Order: sequence, then structure tokens, then C-alpha cells
Amino acid sequence: MKILIATSCVPFIRGGAEILADSLRDALRAAGHEAELAAIPFKHYPPERIPDHMLACRLLDLTETCGVRIDRVIGLKFPAYLIPHPNKVIWLLHQHRTAYELWDHPRAGDLIHYANGPVIREAIHQADRELIPEAKAVYTLSQNVSGRLRRCSGIGSEPLYNPPAHAGLFYNRPAGDYLFFPSRITAVKRQWLAIQALAHCRERVRVRFAGGADSPMQQAECDNAVRELKLGDRVEWLGVVSEEQKRDLYANSLAVIFPPVDEDYGYITLEAMLSSKPVIACSDSGGPLEFIVDRKTGLVASPTPESLAQAMDALWVDRRCAAAMGEAGRARYEDLNISWKNVVEKLLC
Amino acid sequence: MAQNHGLRILIATVRVPFVYGGAEVLAEGLCRALIEAGHRAEIVAIPFKWYPPERILDQMLACRLLDLSETVGVAVDRLIGLKFPAYLIPHPRKVIWMVHQHRQAYDLWQHPLNDLDRYANGADVRAAIQRADTELIAQAQGVFTISRNVALRMNRFCGLHATPLYHPPQMAGLFHTRAAEDFLYFPSRINPLKRQDLVLEALAQTRLPVKVYFSGPADEPAFERTCVALAQKKGCADRVQWLGPVSEEKKRDLYARSLGVLFPPIDEDYGYITLEAMLAHKPVITCTDSGGPLEFVVHHETGIVAEPTAEALAAAMDSLWEDWERARGWGDAGRQRYEDLNIDWNNVVEKLLQ
Amino acid sequence: MLKINWFSPLPPARSGIAHFTMQVLPLLAKRREVALWTDQDQVSPEVQRIARVTRYTPDDPPWRKINDGAISIYHLGNQPDLHGGIWQVSVRQPGIVVLHDLCLHDFFFMLWIHYKKDRVSYLAALERWYGEEGRQAGQAFCAGGIGAESMAQRFPLTREAVQGALGVITHSRGALEALGEAPGCPVAALDFPYAAAAESRYREWMAARSAAPRPPYRLVVFGYLSRNRRLGAVLDALAGFNAREQFRLEICGQLWDEANTRTQIERLGLSSLVKLRGFLPEPLVEQKLSTADLAINLRYPSMGEASLSQLQFWDYGLPTLVTRTGWYASLPEDATAFVRPEHEVEDIQSHLRAFLADPGAFRAMGERGRQSLEHNDPEKYVDAMTQFAAMALRRSPLVTALALAGRVGNDLSAWLHPAASAYLLDRASQEIVTIWPGKPRGYP
Repeated sequence: MKILIATSCVPFIRGGAEILADSLRDALRAAGHEAELAAIPFKHYPPERIPDHMLACRLLDLTETCGVRIDRVIGLKFPAYLIPHPNKVIWLLHQHRTAYELWDHPRAGDLIHYANGPVIREAIHQADRELIPEAKAVYTLSQNVSGRLRRCSGIGSEPLYNPPAHAGLFYNRPAGDYLFFPSRITAVKRQWLAIQALAHCRERVRVRFAGGADSPMQQAECDNAVRELKLGDRVEWLGVVSEEQKRDLYANSLAVIFPPVDEDYGYITLEAMLSSKPVIACSDSGGPLEFIVDRKTGLVASPTPESLAQAMDALWVDRRCAAAMGEAGRARYEDLNISWKNVVEKLLC
Repeated sequence: MAQNHGLRILIATVRVPFVYGGAEVLAEGLCRALIEAGHRAEIVAIPFKWYPPERILDQMLACRLLDLSETVGVAVDRLIGLKFPAYLIPHPRKVIWMVHQHRQAYDLWQHPLNDLDRYANGADVRAAIQRADTELIAQAQGVFTISRNVALRMNRFCGLHATPLYHPPQMAGLFHTRAAEDFLYFPSRINPLKRQDLVLEALAQTRLPVKVYFSGPADEPAFERTCVALAQKKGCADRVQWLGPVSEEKKRDLYARSLGVLFPPIDEDYGYITLEAMLAHKPVITCTDSGGPLEFVVHHETGIVAEPTAEALAAAMDSLWEDWERARGWGDAGRQRYEDLNIDWNNVVEKLLQ
Repeated sequence: MLKINWFSPLPPARSGIAHFTMQVLPLLAKRREVALWTDQDQVSPEVQRIARVTRYTPDDPPWRKINDGAISIYHLGNQPDLHGGIWQVSVRQPGIVVLHDLCLHDFFFMLWIHYKKDRVSYLAALERWYGEEGRQAGQAFCAGGIGAESMAQRFPLTREAVQGALGVITHSRGALEALGEAPGCPVAALDFPYAAAAESRYREWMAARSAAPRPPYRLVVFGYLSRNRRLGAVLDALAGFNAREQFRLEICGQLWDEANTRTQIERLGLSSLVKLRGFLPEPLVEQKLSTADLAINLRYPSMGEASLSQLQFWDYGLPTLVTRTGWYASLPEDATAFVRPEHEVEDIQSHLRAFLADPGAFRAMGERGRQSLEHNDPEKYVDAMTQFAAMALRRSPLVTALALAGRVGNDLSAWLHPAASAYLLDRASQEIVTIWPGKPRGYP
């Protein structure tokens, strides 16, 4: 088949969605198809630019190339998933968030600051409701995204999980004496919650953080918290690490701690499972909860320092339990059939 | 315009899905050159389907609706537009480096190979393309073309003035030369516009036992079959080799070992082949109506410019075949001419960003 | 829970609309969360008890906070010092516009010419809606060559105020259409909210009325009495009426031309029958209305607005003479005594005669007027307003669609060849309509 992956892009920015699109293209090619990206530039501000780009996408024609049919279009992001095609499948990474769950987010809220924000938001809602159902099938990144799509747009969809990058390269080693928290340092990932939890731990739990800070301010906030709570000897900041280093840190950890708020998906949870490590998350963490089975493959705490501390202590004292949970996590990963082969099959059927 | 260092530059072009050709090579070459010059550069490629004709209008409007002026609050310092209709994308600091306009609305209108004029609304869409080009190209801060040929067309049809700006073929530095062997080389896609068939007609009429090697993929299998049959029919099939698509390395090797290069297309925009031949110190045989190559081939100094007839081409091929010394001299002169023309990415970057 | 942003004059501003707001707001605040917005320097404490009041500067509204509300309701009237800021915000963020004055020429004239010294905008607006004729009239008006009333009637400029709105509320059925100023968005004509006095109070007034000795019967005229209140005709009618001694007329309120009126009263020999009371404080108003027999509430010409004073007369069960024009023409036949504009004196006299023949019939008319006030129940008003707002909000994608169409049209005009414009304009419109169809499909 000839397949185009329709996605939106912001020039000079390359993030998770771009990596995913590339991985999908590679997986389609590995399965013997011809696949290419159609990346349409998107500037979302000021708000009236959004309808402009929506219309631009609607005016494109991806049905054929040089007289040969393009068999399928896979839409990933707004507004590229609005491009019309008789054989379109949407694999929704997320809708235009600042019109939905991030509308009034204190830091990420954007449309809400404009005079025409509400009107554009309403326009986006209506367009999604009208046009997403044009697709032959609608898949999403996770149950979390499907849930939002159902609640906000009344549209049903099926979660379709994809593997983290280099899934085959993760491995397991005997547990060392630290919990691993690999993630961008930013408010929604809640490193600060893990730090506060540490202060409540009975045991001498240690946490190693890896990842870059979204802004120097984020790092400074964390450093201040560590200093105030006198946790300097219990916390280590590794900054940005290489992929190999990251896998090694997973492999040698006792457990992975990842308590973000309302995460779309959460590759970290899967990386932990691939490394046969239990995961500690919170009841409002979103994506990770689709994979963690409480007390079987990890622990789900309430989003409070005390509750999180209890979970951290529990694994710290019972290493055998932690190891068993890790194994169970690995088995669960296999059971979930999270593979590009599965993704390709679903998107092309 | 402001300082020319560390700029954020977008290259706006179109992409026909699953087709990878000269325009893609050019865009990538430009992107690399800009990055090497210390800037941040990316290619923005808008999918393009030109049929039925009204689709062209849709995509023109789509391009007008895109906003590439900034990303995440930081200005995009330049937009370099290469192809229609991507060069219509608005931007306050736009420079056009025209690969070509939509030729079907201009020089190829009513050409046998055109399809725009076969539609009921073809004339209307043609008028719209011409008007849009005329109104909007002029809004750019600088207008360049890849060759004088393209600039002349723009002037003739739209009354617009543009500056030709030459660029090197891919891997220009890797072309080399060797002692000539007994064949002329025609390294182009097999395509009616390149006129492999004319060369075969000519080959049938040469006095001397000229040999020709063809390499390159066939854009249309039917045309390739026609050519092969023609060679048989004219009785020169024994002096022809069809090498098909060859690797870049093999291609450079063939250039290096050839006696000379044949490249007589119709009204070529630019013509990497001419430059590749010059880089390989080889003379070029081309035709008076070949377009781009004429900007580089100097008759009886770096090659031969013949009338586009079988007789004239046959005479040109014989002329090269009978005096290998002279052919080598012309080839070296061609290389010198290449140097003199300052065909260099640094020059391109400098001109586009001034 | 639809949170509503409310932009209107607020006490202590001297505006009937501030008073209107105080009637309606407490009921609205029971049903919805309300955020009040003001650019006034002062707001009475009583207002803060009903809903939270936030100040804004019209040049730089705090959109982040405003956007916590789901929809904005903008109250417009003719006073630029009270409504200028509100209008400015309404231009930038579409919402529901409530027109308390149907003709807004004076608003725009004062706002642009007097406050902003911006003649260009004023003339541009006239041209936008009324073409070259409007522009020239505006120029003449600025030079003093045309009367204000004439300008206002010919060029109401209402559309200038409502052009981007999601919906418009008026208090007078068909009035905008009659003015020729109907906008593209939905218009709801709601009965003006009026909380009738309690039955017990009404019965007190009835008692007071019966207690007063009859004849003579008491006629009243109330309010700001400019020329369109037709006092001259009333006095002429009374003067020419044989049985005029049966009546006494009290003129309560500020007279536009007191000297002239006094002269006319003298000339007509009505000095013993007609008294000028001037502007009365509230307790005296109550006294006068509760003991009056017939109110005279003529207006001609009328801009079409609803009359609060008419509702007040009915609150007191007072039968009323009204001119058959504008909003008044829509009043129930059996609760109103109509006077034709071209036959004022004749009709007034005819009604006076009828009154003397059967005062009971007129009393019944007043009763029916009071009963009709149930349509003006403020609870009903608030319900209708919130329903309309919810409906208008669902239409908001059309605002986006229209704005996009405008931008597309603008761009195309720079480069699109006429041969292709029919196709491309249609194509773009089709696509815009596909994305945002006029009737939204379902709403979760």
C-alpha cells in the first residue's frame, strides 16, 4: 500500500510526536509498504490563525499521486487530521489541548488569554465533532486520550498502544539502592511531589532524577525544596543522560517512580516494565494507570506526600516483593501486545 | 535586512508524494548549505496534486493561509520559496529562488505533453496562475531563479525581473576525470523531454562508429521500450548500451571515462548533467533549443551546440569522435568555465540572504 | 453551569439601566454564577452583595479573567460615559447585546466626536451602513446643518453596535426590523422585566383611589416631558372639551419648555384645571399615581423602545392613553386607550367622553393592564435571557466561520483572477460550511 502519515509540525521543534510519526513510517516500511510523512506547518497563535490552518488542511488533496492512488492516510495531529481522504484513519495523539483539558491550566493555558479565545475554542470543538467521524476508524494513544475524546466530543475510539523507542534494548539487573525518576523536569511531572514524599519516608530511600529541566526556574524550585527539606544526601540530579545510560539506570534501580498529573500516555511506565521494574505512580497520573496493576506490577498512591512515601517505603523494605512486581510488569507488557506490528495491523485493516 | 548570521530560515517547496527528484535534491542541498553557513534551516514541503486543474487553485489558497512568520514566539528570519505554489506562502522577508513556475500554464501550454489545456476549466486556471504569480512574486524581497532560462520565461510571461543564481550538482567535489574511452555518455532519466529518441535517430546517421551509453531510470516504461525498438530498427543497437539506473559512484565513473556527454533535452530548466560533465572535464553536445545547458556550453570551446535534428546531431557526434585531443581540450575548458562561473553554495547562500 | 459576564451601568450611576440591572441581577445570580464588570469609579455596596464586581479598563480588558465566564452580556444605551467601555469590549469579544435604546446614533456621535475626537470613525460608520448619503449627512450634521432628531431617525447606526454579536435582545417586538437595523444574528424580543407591586399594596392603592372624591377625575402626565410627549395636543384637547371641568390635569416631571407650556395653559384658559408639579420625589409619585384616574402617556415620534413608565402606570392599575406607534402599538387592545398620531386632539377628546360615560370601563382597562404585567415577570425575563444566551453560544462557531471567510476574501482579492473567483470562493465557502455547519449536530 501507499500510505501517507498526515501530521502537523512546528518548524524547528522536534518532540515526541515527531519521533512517533517517524517510527510509524519506519514500521510501515518494515511491513513492506510505501510510507511517507505529509507534515503540514501549524502556527496556533494568535487564535484566528487556527481556523486559517484548518481550512488550509481541508483544501489539500492526498487522494492520488501522479495517477496512482494513495491507499490510506493516517492522521495524527490537529489540524492535519482534518485533511480529507476517503480512506482515512486517525491515530489521535491528542486534540488541540488548549481548547480542551489545558484551557485554564495556570501555565499551559493559552487561548484563554485572548479576546477571541472562547469563540475559537468553540469552533475547534465543533470542527472536531463534525470531522473526526469522517475517518474510517479512530484510534488514540491511550485510554486517557480516548476518555477525553468521548467526554468532550462524544466520539468513540480505540486506544492503540505503541512501544517506546528501542524497546528491545531494555534489560534487567539486580536491584541497586535507589528509585529512578526519569523525566523532563516540569510542573506536570511532579518531581516536587516525590521530593516532599521523601521527607516523609521512614526508610532512607534515595531517588535519582534524570532529565533536563524545561526552564532553569523548574530546576531551581526542585533544588530549593531539596535544600529546605535537608534531603541533599538522598537525592541525585543526573541531568540529561544518553539512551544507554538511561537504560542502565532503569536496569539497576529498585523501582521506578513516575507520579505525573494526567499524563496522556507515559512511555516511562513501559520502559520500566520492559526493564522488569515496579512502578510507583499516583491515582491521578492518567496514562501510567492503564499499565500499572496496583500491588501486582507496582503501587498506586494518592497524590499526597504521605501516601507516596508509604509506597516508596514499602518497596524499599521488601526487595523480593519489588522484584516480583517487576517480573509481573514485564509479563504484563508482553500480554498487552504493545508492538509496531500490532499498530500497523490495526491502522491498515 | 539585519545581520546575516545564525538566522532561522525555512525553505518552502512542494512535494508530490512518493516522487523524489531534482527539486528535492536541490532543497536538501540548499538546506545543508545554509546549516553549514551557521544558520538553522528546515524544509517545509506542502503536498501538491495538480489535477484536476481546480485542485491547483485549492492549493494556492491553502498556501496563502499558512503562517510561517514565527515559531513559538521566535521570528523566522527568511522564507526561501522554491516551487509553485509554495512560494505564494506569505512572509514579510521572503526570497524566491525559483526552480520553475508551473510550466503547464506557461511555456508548456498547448504542448502535446500538457494536460492542463485538455480540461474545460484549463484556461481559467491558467489565467489564475498567471495573475497570482504576477501579483505575488513581486511581493518577495528578492527574486532569483536557478537559471537564466527560467528568468527569461518569467520575464516573457509575467513581465517580472529575476536574477539567475547557479548552484552545484550533488557531490560536485566527487566528480573526477580519466582518459577517454570509446563511448559518449547520456546519463539522464529516460523521458521524451530528454530526447533519447532523437539521439538514436542521429546515431543511425553517423559516419564513424560512435557508441552511446544510456543510464538512468525510465520515467515511462513505454517510452523506454520505444527507444530500444528504435535502436533495433535503425540498425544501431549494437552501438548502444542501456545501463538502467546506476549508483552515483558508477555514474561518476562513467562520466570520467566517457569521450563526451550527450544532453540535448527540450527547454531544460537548468541541467545538472551539463555541470556534471564540466566537473568531469568532458565536452557536452547539446541543442539550440535545449534551454539551461546553453548557459554553460560554449560552442566549439566547451562542446557543440547543434540544431535539434538527427543530421546535425550526427555531425556533432562525428565531430567529437574524430578528434579526441580536441575533445579533451574542450572538456578541460568546460571545467575552467565551471570554476569561472563561481557555481558554489556559499555564493547561493550569500545572495539569497543579502 | 453557564457562568455569565455582565457588563452594564451599575448603581450609583444615574441610569434606568442600572435600575433594570438591580431588578434582574439577583434573579439571574440565583440561577447562574454571575461576574459583574465595570469601568465606573464607584459601585454601590448593595451591588457587591449580589455578585462579584471587577473593574476593567476598556483599552485593555483582562481577557484571562473574563474568559472564566462562558458568555458575556453587554447592555448598550445612548450614554457614552456609561456604555462606551462596554461597547468597546463587545467589539473585541462577541456576546449577547441587550439594546436598551434601539437607536444608537447619539451614542456613536457623542462617543466618537465628543469623547474621542475621532470624526473619521464616525463618518466611516455612517458610510459603512448608509453609503455616501450617510457620510454626507454626517458631515452636514457635524457642521450643524441637520437636526439631531433627523439624523437619529434616518441613521440609527444600531447595526454598528450589533454587527459581531452572537445574539441581540430587545424589549420591543419587530422594532429593529422596522428601523431597518436588523443584524445577521438572532434577535429575541423579551418583555421588559418589571416586578409588579404586591397585591396587598395594590389594594391599598385601590382604596386610596376610591377614597378620593369624584368628579373631578384626575389626569396625570409623568416623566421627562420633551416635545414628543405631545403636551400641546393634550392641552388643546382639554381646552376644546365641553366637559373639561370634570377633569384636573397634573403635569409631573421636568418640562422641556416650561415657559412655553405655562403660556399655552394661560392662553387656553386652563389655569384652574392644569397644575405643573415639576419633578416629584418617590413618596409623592406614589401618592399621585395611586389617586389618579387616567394616565396620559403619549409619544410621537417614537424610537420604538419599551416604556418603563407604562408598566409603572399598569402597576397602579391606571388606564392609559398611548399613541398607536412603535412599542405602544403592540400593547393589548383591551388594556390600552389608543390615540392616532394624526388625530390626537380628536382621539383624546373621544376617550375623555367615553371615560365620563363609563369610568368603570376604564378602571377595568387599568385592571387588565395590571394583569398583563405577569408577562413582565422578571423571573420569566431571566429564564428567557439565559435560554437565549445558551442558544446563541452554540452559534458561536459561525462567528469564526464568517471571520475566516472575510480573511479569505481579503486575501483572494489581491491575487485571484476573475475567471477563477466563482470556483474558488464557492469552494472555500463550501469547505468552511463543512467544518462549521449552520446547524451544529448534537451537543454533548
